[in-house]
Amino acid sequence: MVATFLSYWSGRPARRFDGWSVAAILICLLILGPILALWLTALGDSRGLWGHLVSTVLPRYVVNTLLLMLGVGVLSVFFGVSTAWVITRYSFPAKRVFEWLLLLPAAIPAYIIAYTYTDFLEYAGPVQSLLRDMFGWQRPADYWFPEIRSLGGAVLVMASVLYPYIYMVTRIAFRLTPASLFEIALVHDKSQFWSVGLPLARPAITAGLALVLMEVVSDFGTVEYFAVETITLGIFNVWLGMNNIVAAAQISLFGFVFILSLLGLELYARSRQRFAGNGKSAVELQPLDLGMKGQMACQAVCALPLLLGFVIPVGVLLKFVLGNPITDQLGQVIDTVGATMLMAGAAALLIVAVSTLLVLAATYRGGIVVRRLTMAASSGYAIPGTMLAIGVLIFAGVVDRAWGGLVGDPRATLLLGGGGILLTAYLVRFQAVGYGALMSGIRRLPDNMMNASRCLGHGFGPSLKLVILPLLRGSMLAGGLLCFVDIMKELPITLLLRPFDYETLATYTYQFAKDEMLETAALPALMIVVAGLVPVILMNNMLRRAG
Amino acid sequence: MILIIILNFSLAICDEFAFDNHSQTSDTHGNWGTQIMHVATATPKARPSAKEKARAVVRRAAGRLITRVAVGLTALLIAAGPIMAAAAEINIYSHRQQFLLQPFLDAFTAETGIKTRVVYASKGLAQRLLAEGEASPADVILTVDISRLSEYAELDLLAPVESPVLAANVPAHLRAADNRWFALSTRARLVATSVDRVAEGAIADIEDLADPRWAGRICSRKGSHVYNRSLMASVIAANGAAAAEAWADGMVANFARKPQGNDRAQAKAIFEGQCDVAIMNHYYYGKMLYGDKPEQKGWADAIRLVFTNQDGRGTHVNISGGGMARHSPNPQAARRFLEFLTTPVAQQLYGEINFEYPVNPDVAPGGVLASWGDFRRDDLAIERLATLAPDAQMIIDRVGW
Repeated sequence: MVATFLSYWSGRPARRFDGWSVAAILICLLILGPILALWLTALGDSRGLWGHLVSTVLPRYVVNTLLLMLGVGVLSVFFGVSTAWVITRYSFPAKRVFEWLLLLPAAIPAYIIAYTYTDFLEYAGPVQSLLRDMFGWQRPADYWFPEIRSLGGAVLVMASVLYPYIYMVTRIAFRLTPASLFEIALVHDKSQFWSVGLPLARPAITAGLALVLMEVVSDFGTVEYFAVETITLGIFNVWLGMNNIVAAAQISLFGFVFILSLLGLELYARSRQRFAGNGKSAVELQPLDLGMKGQMACQAVCALPLLLGFVIPVGVLLKFVLGNPITDQLGQVIDTVGATMLMAGAAALLIVAVSTLLVLAATYRGGIVVRRLTMAASSGYAIPGTMLAIGVLIFAGVVDRAWGGLVGDPRATLLLGGGGILLTAYLVRFQAVGYGALMSGIRRLPDNMMNASRCLGHGFGPSLKLVILPLLRGSMLAGGLLCFVDIMKELPITLLLRPFDYETLATYTYQFAKDEMLETAALPALMIVVAGLVPVILMNNMLRRAG
Repeated sequence: MILIIILNFSLAICDEFAFDNHSQTSDTHGNWGTQIMHVATATPKARPSAKEKARAVVRRAAGRLITRVAVGLTALLIAAGPIMAAAAEINIYSHRQQFLLQPFLDAFTAETGIKTRVVYASKGLAQRLLAEGEASPADVILTVDISRLSEYAELDLLAPVESPVLAANVPAHLRAADNRWFALSTRARLVATSVDRVAEGAIADIEDLADPRWAGRICSRKGSHVYNRSLMASVIAANGAAAAEAWADGMVANFARKPQGNDRAQAKAIFEGQCDVAIMNHYYYGKMLYGDKPEQKGWADAIRLVFTNQDGRGTHVNISGGGMARHSPNPQAARRFLEFLTTPVAQQLYGEINFEYPVNPDVAPGGVLASWGDFRRDDLAIERLATLAPDAQMIIDRVGW
């Protein structure tokens, strides 16, 4: 059926509003509904709260948020790009293992790693205890030790788990850079990294960085635990402390507009640059061999983020799991693993499918309207999860009231109370992840790919099927993987929108972690990592072949 | 509906393309030159080997399977939405963690045969209820802190419950005048001092925390946490806004460190010598002392609880409570559950599980709670705390607590 549908359209020249555009616009409107609902909420009366906020806490919130973004941005780009570069460009022992190990921190929720680091670095933790034993210190007043519950701590913790977003897309970008360009750099005695690799990977790095920054702005768990007063923390104080959801919606949209302006700036800055290569050389890019020192340097570059984002936090979790009886917990945890993976898998598949459709429509079919809409539809990521969940609730309420009217039963629901609303919310929030991965993939394809295929007599549909989609496979997998692990650890949306008695690993972990019962939270938290392991390895293999 | 259509459409496309590309990608992997050549000639490449063929078949089958499972699962998830609660079942929206709630639910089901289902979330459940409107499956709301209860009441999400049992078991100042919500347990917010470094009786009132003699010695969790906000509201109610702000300002100036962590973390900080005085809810003491973590027993042993303002208005007390959802599909069972929570059996459970004080005047605090002795409670009408919460938050913002 789809094939006939496609061939029907493919026989015609591209028009502004064909079936692809209409489908894309409809989907975008569905995704934008909840965001619009938040805007409408923000139009209400905030009871003059802004005067108070601006004169008291808001400047501090804004400065803290900016510093956090700057810190996490710089550190995660450093981790992500350096690892992606040594992995693609050099050969060194254990490279294949590092290649997928480096993805693992993505499976650890930032707030969990915050708990583990606090346990690790606090006064009674192993590091300080060791230092006290070594130097004979007795009291906290005897020495200075950096406070982990601080802005710096939040930067370290968040960058350690967020850099894989950048590592993943940048690695694909490096790998797809034609080997001939590196050869030119070699011939001209220029740095391969600074004059070829980095500039050509800029769209990918930006896409990854955008996700990281949006994650930073919308994070609640980590900043709350570390008592870093960011805008998101302010949103909750206003909402729950002053019963003022209007002002809360206004602040979250303030943050939202801010992050989108940043993205707009970057897009504008590179609007006159083109990133299309004109084909791959026949010769595969050969990783360079290094001497002993070089190999060790490469391993160190890979080991550092891995140590910070995986080894230390998982070590702490393991300590708790091994030190406590887990048998009475095990059955429920295993059930929860299944439920979590099914939901995350279904949602990731949905998001990749929708992103692919939107990216294709925006690139090859629709005009400026479709392009702008698809971009707007991937902005849900910049809104704190709980606020977005409230937008989804309002939107679903409207839909369900209409539905109830239609079937004549006010108790009938379509979205609310079931899994549908959760899937919708995941789509709205994580669309950016799938869209980002696919967009950076398709940007790297030269325009003449499609044109050549069309000239050779293939319709639009068959051209997609034969040429474009196979080339996008790596990006689809990358997007799918990121969505999967992201959804698996997602907390605020799942918490609020889930059906009765439904637990994911994240919600199950949270109910204990909230009370700082790390020893009970450790097993399900560890299972999030373990459950993320299989898809990470699997998809890394596929990526290696496809990318 | 739209979602299902879109979903199926997109998945079908995914099925068509993403997994059906064995002939293009099995060995060329994005090699654009080969792709073009392939399109140009539009003929199959060199015959694939048997191994490649088999791999392609498996991959294709796996792809199809994933797609089918996903579609089926999605349909199932969506279909699960409209299923309504059966008669002998109540649905609970809870702000309390499930593991704290479970013993009550088990006891209730054992006594009445009514099953329970729970959604637990710490914030936003009122908005969920609001969005669901008439279609809401929720029967009972359970929460901690009076501000949250009154938020539900303000949004008109609770139904009045006329029940002689509740009227008898819950004193009038611990329930709404129109019977929309009921307190189910009470907790005192008090001061903890270091056993070693602070003399007994050095602090008598909560107001003492602003005294400069405590400079650099006080620890607290964030001011905007609901517990502290209610405490702040109680100080406003007692002393007026200006005096309350001066007090908060003085106390913040005495902090040993930036406000952080939960109440338990403050006891730990006293244990570790980072500070000498902290604000905490009384039940954490019991949890640390009798929990299954030996190191926390040490934290509890390091502190002494001070029931503040015993010669004046009494210690600030907050509540956990609940009410019936306005559109409860099963109001009888919902009422029965609320009633059950105020019976002696359940009231004792509050003390046993979480060291909270009962609201039922006929139930004496048992075991450990009794050993801590009785104390004078601030008898401020509990609803005032909710009314003053926004003012309290503003002061907290201004003084940077």
